[in-house]
Amino acid sequence: METKDFKIVGKVTPRKDGVARVTGQEIYSTDVILPRMLHARTVASPYAHAIVKSIDTSEAEAMGAVVITFDDIPKVRYNERVITVPWVLHKDRYVLENRARRMGEAVAAVAAETEELAEKAARAVKVEYEPLPVVLDPFEAMKPGAPQLYETVMYGEKEIPVVNNIACQRELVEGDADKAFAEADIIVEGTFDTGKIYHAQMEPKTAVVQPEPNGGISVWATVQSIHNTRIVLGQIFGIPLSKINVHRMTVGGSFGSSIQMNTVIPICAALALKARRPVKLMSTREEDMNDHTRYPMHMHLQLAAKKDGTLIGAKEEVVVDIGAHILQAYSYLGVMVGWLVSLYRIPNIYYRGVAVYTNKPPSCAMQGYGNPQVTFAAESLMEELAEKLGMDPLELKLKNYVGLGDTFWGQGPMVRSIVRSDGVPEMLRRGAELIGWYRRQPSGSQSGRYRRGIGMARGFHTSSAGAPKPGDVIDFSGAMVKINPDGSVDVVSAVVDHGGGTLEAMAKLVAETLCVPLDKVNVAPAETTSTLYDVCTHATRGVYAGGGAAVRVAQMVRKELLETAAGYLGVYPEALELKLDEEAGEGVIFCPAIPEKRMTVREVAHRCWTDSWKTIAALDSYRPTNCPPAYVSIFVEVEVDTWTGIVRTVKAVMGGDAGTVVNPDMAHGQLEGGLSRGSGFALYESNAWDKDGALVSKGFWVDAKTPGITETPPLKDFTSFFATSYEPTGPLGAKGLGEAATNPVAAAFANAIYNAIGIRFYELPITPEKILKALEEKEKAQGAAVAQER
Amino acid sequence: MEPKVITLTVNGRKHQVALPPNITLLRALREYLHYTDVKNGCEKGDCGACTVILNGKAVNSCLVLAWQADGGEILTVSGLGTTSNPHPIQEAFADTGAAQCGFCTPGMVLAAKALLDENPHPTEEEIREAISGNLCRCTGYGPIVEAIQIAAERLAEGGQK
Repeated sequence: METKDFKIVGKVTPRKDGVARVTGQEIYSTDVILPRMLHARTVASPYAHAIVKSIDTSEAEAMGAVVITFDDIPKVRYNERVITVPWVLHKDRYVLENRARRMGEAVAAVAAETEELAEKAARAVKVEYEPLPVVLDPFEAMKPGAPQLYETVMYGEKEIPVVNNIACQRELVEGDADKAFAEADIIVEGTFDTGKIYHAQMEPKTAVVQPEPNGGISVWATVQSIHNTRIVLGQIFGIPLSKINVHRMTVGGSFGSSIQMNTVIPICAALALKARRPVKLMSTREEDMNDHTRYPMHMHLQLAAKKDGTLIGAKEEVVVDIGAHILQAYSYLGVMVGWLVSLYRIPNIYYRGVAVYTNKPPSCAMQGYGNPQVTFAAESLMEELAEKLGMDPLELKLKNYVGLGDTFWGQGPMVRSIVRSDGVPEMLRRGAELIGWYRRQPSGSQSGRYRRGIGMARGFHTSSAGAPKPGDVIDFSGAMVKINPDGSVDVVSAVVDHGGGTLEAMAKLVAETLCVPLDKVNVAPAETTSTLYDVCTHATRGVYAGGGAAVRVAQMVRKELLETAAGYLGVYPEALELKLDEEAGEGVIFCPAIPEKRMTVREVAHRCWTDSWKTIAALDSYRPTNCPPAYVSIFVEVEVDTWTGIVRTVKAVMGGDAGTVVNPDMAHGQLEGGLSRGSGFALYESNAWDKDGALVSKGFWVDAKTPGITETPPLKDFTSFFATSYEPTGPLGAKGLGEAATNPVAAAFANAIYNAIGIRFYELPITPEKILKALEEKEKAQGAAVAQER
Repeated sequence: MEPKVITLTVNGRKHQVALPPNITLLRALREYLHYTDVKNGCEKGDCGACTVILNGKAVNSCLVLAWQADGGEILTVSGLGTTSNPHPIQEAFADTGAAQCGFCTPGMVLAAKALLDENPHPTEEEIREAISGNLCRCTGYGPIVEAIQIAAERLAEGGQK
């Protein structure tokens, strides 16, 4: 099918759930209310590192509360994230801990008739702690004699020791990096640091669990994967998966924060099982801020190049502070080099990464899973390299980027595929034109209070973790599609939509494939008992892989539809065609050679029903064998106020290559949201902990500096566009977009600030304080140089 | 202190409910009266998701005690319009992609309502000011500003509501 022939895909249509969202009718996990439901609260450790000596629950129980402690939970160590195959999965946590390793770790939990009573009862639980020394810095943590978080953790079914708080490490060698560096004409290097920032999803994580008469449980919770949540609950509580029913909920934003089964879910389940009543446990904002952050990065990166700008080698060393629990650190260490070699063709690589435990909130994936961090470093150094070579950065990047026909590491070294669609040249050309790239002044050449600079960066994200063969990372999706007797269509899929319109895209892809009007296609409510497995909405895979499964199944349904119609019409199925009759608002099956041989989709489905024959339906699982890069470019103009250090976004231009754009308005929305979150990462957002391991923000969200409208440029100063692109392996040519939108943003800001004031920043966020200090140092150095000349 | 019976008129419907003094308007609406369209984002006045219109003014319902609202008129987003008959502001939010995850949307819509009630033809700057107390992590705010502009135009044309 040609893109231009699409009737539904690529058209702006009102979002099916749009009106429900704006009238307050969508039900999020926080809104679930069940008969006889109890409200729960956790008892949070006031120490970042402490052993629980004793717990006295009598007073809380006297209030009528149900209380659980370490003694009440299954003694199963687990990992909240089960994307990795079980035999290489690290597991270090229990549902409730008898040793707190981060501030606010749950050591007990209570359930009571009202939220107020639960809060009172939680306060009445008396816990005696033995505080332990706290270690917050990963470098300190690796030193012999530092406080140890763990003696052992589980690795698969094996118990392994933890030495010097090192959770795992990884080394990778390709070619001969030393030789490449010896032969290089030019080497650039830098040490980059990025913050352990807060996801700041709007919805506080919540679970509602109802014990069922058959010994099972029903779960309504904030998650990005209903099936993985079910699997972890089964592992912990020893309940057969068939008796665990996890419902898909409307999710109030996620950005990776619910990529794992959330801490509140098993606590809530344990309470519900003990109370034999439904229980709701909703995180407070402060608890949520103590529960998860982005992976911070400390990276030393060196790039080696020839005079003509050809990259020939890279050396990369990374230290990652993973906080108090491991989620997916081993894979993370893989992608820290994977993202680099998928940005640019680098034949010779030496890489070493270390993941370290500290007494801070667990680090988890946040939009890009390390990609914004790596791209910040790589795109900063590429600009430096271009400047040293006297090349236009655009030319240097186009010369070296991983594009059409190149091998691409979708994730780490285990996930490789070939690039088959590439809008990068178009994006860079058009972006440069829209921002006025060639009017930019030499970096640092300006004087005066306000100095403007233009910067750019390019980036990408993988669409899914699909690969030609099975690896460490599980990645597949299932779908069922059926045509009802009235010609309407149900799409049954476990894919979770975080709000960006993934399920809307799925409906459009199915409608297009079956030639049925969009309003007749409905994405069914989903729960684990009646859907096929879907791994997770992560890795920018919702449309590409989840939608890919839906299209594959819709094509099976299309085939059955034509065969069934052929039988009724007395013609060969190959002689039939299917098209959407937009006037009639129906799909029509017809034989071009014999015009009277014609039935609508509805007529075929209805006849199958009245003949007591069948439902036209299909189901299947789909494993992507590729993981195409969704490319994004950003050009940004900033104004630096050299008196206050404040950076203002003057203008931003973002380009995307998502293959076929299924929902154009929502796709533009992804780019614009990416600018906002990326600018937060670049300029504002930080998390700091005091010496005891308590958040300096004390759980106040505004102190995490999530960008508001005041940090956003006016409407006329933001432009977004999409490259003409078609991904041959994707559903109707589509690939991903979501995470790609934030990945290059911070690097573009750093480059624009460099262009404005001639100072390169290697640490995010680039706050006004840092800018003022750097300007002062630069002036001093210039003053000294002038004095010396005299 | 003992609970006191207070009267809250929510979306035109009168409720009498016995509440202790430490219950916020947010919890009274959500937990006691089940107006779950009022979103609980932080309970600290940081995010604006719980915005309702109390006696004509947009307030963070987590920062108002229920007793303080005794006898008050409250408008929540489900009272502004329905799925079959949405308010022009709600329609505009749906049309422009101003609602992605939708969790900030009830608060944003009501902040916009309070603005347009007082100032039917706001400038972009005035719109930005009006929603500066509401956080959104999905959209980057542009589509929300656009929705409020479109709503203002539609309200001026239609004149109703």
